[in-house]
Amino acid sequence: MNNWVRENLWRHVLAIAVCLFSLFPLYLVVLSSLSTNGSLHLTSFVPTEFSLKNFRFLFNSPKIPFMHWVQNSLVIASTVAICSVVIGAASAFAFSRLKFKGKKFGIQLLLLVQMFPAILALSAVYVIMERVYRFAPQIGLGSQAGLVLVYLGGSMGVNIWLLKGFVDSIPAELDEAAKIDGASAVQTYWLIFVPLAAPVLAVVSLLSFIGTFNEFILARLFLVEMDGRTVAVGLQQFIGGQYSQNWGPFAAGSILASIPIVVIFLSLQKYIVNGLTAGSVKG
Amino acid sequence: MNRKRLGLFGVIASAALAITATVVPAAHAASEILIWADETRGPHLTTLFAANPNVIPGSTIKVVSFSSYDALGDALDKYTGSAGPDIFIGGNDWVTKLAKSGKLAPVTLTASQKSKFAATNFFDLTYKKKIYGVPVDINNVAMVYNTKLVTTAPKTYGDMVDFYKANKVSKGLKAGLCFTGGGMAWGGLSGLSALGADPYFMRAKGVPDVYKGFNGTTFGNNVKKYLLDANGKSNGFFPATDTGCADNFKAGLVPYATLGNWEWKKYADLGFTMNFMPVPGVVAGTYGHMFGSVNGAFLTTNAEKHGVAVAAKSLLTGYFASAAGQIAYEAIELRPPANLDAQASASVSEAQKNMANAATLAGIPQIGAFLGSNAGGANYWDSSGGYWTAVLVQGKDAVVEGKKLAAMWKKNVAVGKADL
Amino acid sequence: MSGFVRGNFAFMGKVALLAIVTAILALLTEHAFVQKEYAIGSFLLFAILALNFTYLTKFSIPLKFFVPGILFFIAFVIAPIIFTLSMSTYHYQTGNILGKVEATEQVVTLGAEPDANGTTFDINVGETPSGDFAILVSDIANNKFFISTKDARTEVPASSVTLDENGVATAAPGFTLISAETLSKSDDYSRIHYKYQDKFYIGIEGQNVGAVFQQSLTYDKAAGVIKNVVTGDTYKDNGRGNWAKVGAPDEMLTPGWRAPIWFENYTKLVSDEKVRTPLIKVFIWTVVFAGMSVLTTFALGLLLAMALNRKIRGRRIYRSILILPYAMPSVMSILIWAGMFDTEFGAINNLLHTHIAWFTDANFARGAVLLVNLWLGFPYFYLICSGSLQAIPTELQEAAAIDGANPRQIFRKITLPLLLQILSPLLIASFAFNFNNFNLIYLLTGGGPRETLDGQIAGATDILISYTYQIAFGNNTQDFGLASAISVLIFVLVASISLYGLKKSKVMETFG
Repeated sequence: MNNWVRENLWRHVLAIAVCLFSLFPLYLVVLSSLSTNGSLHLTSFVPTEFSLKNFRFLFNSPKIPFMHWVQNSLVIASTVAICSVVIGAASAFAFSRLKFKGKKFGIQLLLLVQMFPAILALSAVYVIMERVYRFAPQIGLGSQAGLVLVYLGGSMGVNIWLLKGFVDSIPAELDEAAKIDGASAVQTYWLIFVPLAAPVLAVVSLLSFIGTFNEFILARLFLVEMDGRTVAVGLQQFIGGQYSQNWGPFAAGSILASIPIVVIFLSLQKYIVNGLTAGSVKG
Repeated sequence: MNRKRLGLFGVIASAALAITATVVPAAHAASEILIWADETRGPHLTTLFAANPNVIPGSTIKVVSFSSYDALGDALDKYTGSAGPDIFIGGNDWVTKLAKSGKLAPVTLTASQKSKFAATNFFDLTYKKKIYGVPVDINNVAMVYNTKLVTTAPKTYGDMVDFYKANKVSKGLKAGLCFTGGGMAWGGLSGLSALGADPYFMRAKGVPDVYKGFNGTTFGNNVKKYLLDANGKSNGFFPATDTGCADNFKAGLVPYATLGNWEWKKYADLGFTMNFMPVPGVVAGTYGHMFGSVNGAFLTTNAEKHGVAVAAKSLLTGYFASAAGQIAYEAIELRPPANLDAQASASVSEAQKNMANAATLAGIPQIGAFLGSNAGGANYWDSSGGYWTAVLVQGKDAVVEGKKLAAMWKKNVAVGKADL
Repeated sequence: MSGFVRGNFAFMGKVALLAIVTAILALLTEHAFVQKEYAIGSFLLFAILALNFTYLTKFSIPLKFFVPGILFFIAFVIAPIIFTLSMSTYHYQTGNILGKVEATEQVVTLGAEPDANGTTFDINVGETPSGDFAILVSDIANNKFFISTKDARTEVPASSVTLDENGVATAAPGFTLISAETLSKSDDYSRIHYKYQDKFYIGIEGQNVGAVFQQSLTYDKAAGVIKNVVTGDTYKDNGRGNWAKVGAPDEMLTPGWRAPIWFENYTKLVSDEKVRTPLIKVFIWTVVFAGMSVLTTFALGLLLAMALNRKIRGRRIYRSILILPYAMPSVMSILIWAGMFDTEFGAINNLLHTHIAWFTDANFARGAVLLVNLWLGFPYFYLICSGSLQAIPTELQEAAAIDGANPRQIFRKITLPLLLQILSPLLIASFAFNFNNFNLIYLLTGGGPRETLDGQIAGATDILISYTYQIAFGNNTQDFGLASAISVLIFVLVASISLYGLKKSKVMETFG
């Protein structure tokens, strides 16, 4: 018993304390979504009312295409998640495994460019997409496709860098062996590397998915049409109005919108943790 | 490149050309007037033009609603070239900035059209003597008192403070006076002005007095007298922010509050009496000023670039500024129309008229050239709230900060007058 | 399987994909050139060539992996950076955002002054027998009518016009009405100055409205000056993006244009005390904020990872809860936190039974920002660390334990250094991310508190990026040129710190 206390008690105490810390804001959101007064005040830690008014508002109000927003977010985020990993993984593989001239320069450039404050690039991106709109409105400002392109481009540096970090942690023995067997770099990539790195790729694409799902500064400028908005932009309008803040529907919508992500995350959590290290060469 | 690959390249290139040749770039939709608006006005405009599609013969009207007022402002800042709207609807915060940068185009109103509006309405739409839009509806706040707590209208600021002090404990009051809408800077002007701080003063004829500033010492002493206790701490009558004001007022925990003219109906529906009045000043018969401003419909330089300048101008002067247009629009938007003929119409409610009356008693035009100027260090929007934070929250000296505020605003006006 | 990658099938698939992509890009290229977007068009053309060259030749194997990434990188990362770089050499702020040609056109347009009475007329637009645009003007007050074209004004006797119910002339000899539908197809007629009298003309101000104007400002292209024909003043290009009055350089015409001023924005950073002082203050806080954020999130994440690194009861549940902050959309979480820190109603004060004005006191606000960032960030490091801990070979630790090292020593001497080695790229990336963590600051405190009465633009929690945003897009004058210069400065600073750090830690060598 004593041994157990010495070994494990602090683990439980710490975990429980941090769990409470994690849950506290989320608990408030739930309270707020069930309340009717539209503000985010904590009058009591015990729920005083159980009203589904806010949830009903989201689904029944003809002016609030909430399901469209969720759908848009899911489509945009999954497209970005998949494409960015498909494109990024190839580059990361090359950086990690191939030898070529200018590799060091490339890596340094990649790292440095991430340090560039991107917020002003926002204006530049706006101008570029505005121009694209003039000749190809389908992929220019205001279109979801255009936003996807911008996200893909903008996340390219980060993703390659992140993927490269993970790829480096995968032992190279297998693909070196393949190389000795006479496989080309492209074959090594598809036949050895991709299956091996699948958990890593899944994790990075999941991270990319969440990042995209969360983004709202660009999305708010890009997707102005009511039906075309993402959840983040659509919900933000409840509390970003000129005159009033309406926390109830915001909280309710946030909970609903978070559910898909949280479910994915929780159901894949083991996979995620394994993927983050990806030292699966042992098995 | 070997021959096989060269051939492949040829195949790809010709496939590409074949597709390219079959599709011709789509032309811009001619004679479409593009309107940008925020998340509340936009849907209302969409409804309006769905019901009245042919207000401008030969032109169609497209409304784009942004997700928030801020998002609309950001987009107006950022658009370049011709990607922006032909017309946008909103408050007048952006006129000075956008006109200065050359994004707005002037509008000419006939003398008879102008006579349908109060002359001060045009301050909100003017930059360097040119008018860039038409007034659409009135944008103001006014104070109401909760008749369940207070039975008579206060005559002076002191009356309200006395009531608060006497009933604070017994009625569990959270504050004496607060602002439910419009924010501490815009909606809260009367809180500053009632105690003597004004960003600028108007002369009798509706002309701004560009040399007069307020007296920071008098104002600071008023703040000390009415809002601070003996230790220089806030006595709780006046909160430094508007957070929670609406809920407290609804719950009967605040006797006096200002409401916006866009939201009065919510309170009327809850059973509050719409006894609108300006915030009383320290001397009986005086009032704290408030912005009696207008929302405008503004013309941008894009209309010319898109070849719809005439149609857009007609839409502004012939529809948005007209009594018929404003009555139709306000039936959806529910603010008091700016057009005097429309105001007189039977469709305007008693509450709206009371609201307009309060504006007549104590409204000042919202002059963007002064309010947006930051020559003194910070503009009105940033510094007004800053004063309350400094004095009521951080406990800085009310007179010292009051003098700073006075000096700052005087300089803002002195420099901003060049943009009138 | 190998045949699938090597064989003809794969080859054909590759070619088909390449053909489709090429076709789409070619289409876009054509459209871009048609719409005169030469820069974008050229880039698309370059993309087509690069893709086809790379995948159809054996020029370079690594390029086959890189090309799509590089193209995106150039379009959406490098190009905006170059744009920012070039804008930092411009006088580019509110009032000076158009190009010179357009700004000058605008100045001239705005130089059309209405006559003293603001005279307006009811008009109808039509054409003369010779096919020129003409307007039929009704001066109803004086019962006079005339037809104007750009060269001539012809009086029409009241007896010979046809009037509508409002008394506006709709037909007259020598004038053919054009229908509104026809007119709406082109704006050409509205750009004409129809003859009125002397220097005055009638401009079209609506579908049936004409107003009397005088063109007071004219652009003399040859001399490169703008003249006011009414007052006789001359305005010259002042070299900083404005037409300024000769003899009174402070009197400028609006709008101005963005003009190159080379390094002035940069020298301002050093020489202008109003810019320099807040910049230094903000920079220091930015470094502290980013450093502390990495440190706290990593520390808590690592601690949790170690605590849960063995199979204790409830580990799965703990883990599920612990990663919730990471899984929730952060925009929402940050806004909720902002509400929780409210002085009057916030849950934090309520919980602690305090009455702290969190966001109006500099130190409390900074603490709040770090706390929220800890909440947002620790699950990431928790996940990373718990993964990495499992990846560290246990043999080393076991060997050390046999040698009599206690757990703390094992951690300090073996586990931590190994972890840091594995995770250093992620730690650096996290630092860089937090260095530019705009969302958090913008949504939580807006950079405040700000001593506005003392004229401060930089708030206590403003990090460089939110400060830059404030300068570029804030409520005050938006100075894009200066903001760009600050961005470049930030970049140089961060880049050199990081490079130095990387050299020191020798991480870079493992890339070699």
